Amino acid sequence: MDNLTEMLKGTLEGCVLEIIANEETYGYAITRQLNELGFADVVEGTVYAILLRLEKNGLVQVTKRPSGLGPPRKFYALNDAGREELSTFWEKWEYITARISKLKGGGR
Amino acid sequence: MNFWETITGSDITREWKAFDVRAAVLPADHRAAWEEIKGHVSLYSDFTGRNLTPILDGALGLLEETSSDGQSVHEVLGDDIAGFCAALAGGEGARSYRDRWREQLNRNVAKKLGRLGG
Repeated sequence: MDNLTEMLKGTLEGCVLEIIANEETYGYAITRQLNELGFADVVEGTVYAILLRLEKNGLVQVTKRPSGLGPPRKFYALNDAGREELSTFWEKWEYITARISKLKGGGR
Repeated sequence: MNFWETITGSDITREWKAFDVRAAVLPADHRAAWEEIKGHVSLYSDFTGRNLTPILDGALGLLEETSSDGQSVHEVLGDDIAGFCAALAGGEGARSYRDRWREQLNRNVAKKLGRLGG
């Protein structure tokens, strides 16, 4: 589905947290996973900006590892603050989706 | 950063030159994106531009990494380089000189009003 960017904006950070929660990973792999999931519009630059924000907010642990060729890659893993943020994200998600579904079903 | 560098900004010039040296070895499309990123990011400059150095360093790192992966710039940044730059600058907490002016203006107006009122 195209043109999801606007709607995805607030939730992409939670998606990235969830992906990192499953295993330590890096920007390119995260982008690929989101693409395979069906979010074709998501580019590595978008994910990069999110990763920077997560790092700045102290939600991830960053390790630099040498890659086959080219500069070393940054790998991301969740820390305790990140896991807490992720569970808050899912709570908010449940809240919103429950209410929006209710609205769609007639609103009462 | 020493006093001389603080006053003249010579450290920034040096760092920016180092960026351009790194950018020079990138493939053409990545190099073009780099030029565009520099232009966009400068909107978020503080008075000296010192706040931009880490942002540009990161963006250049991304270009280096992705070019060595063999990705095209379009795959990496999509169509919205301006949006990418805004997200980076926002993510780094960089505030533009316009935010500062706006704040200053608001403060001054509030002060004036306070004086009139009291």
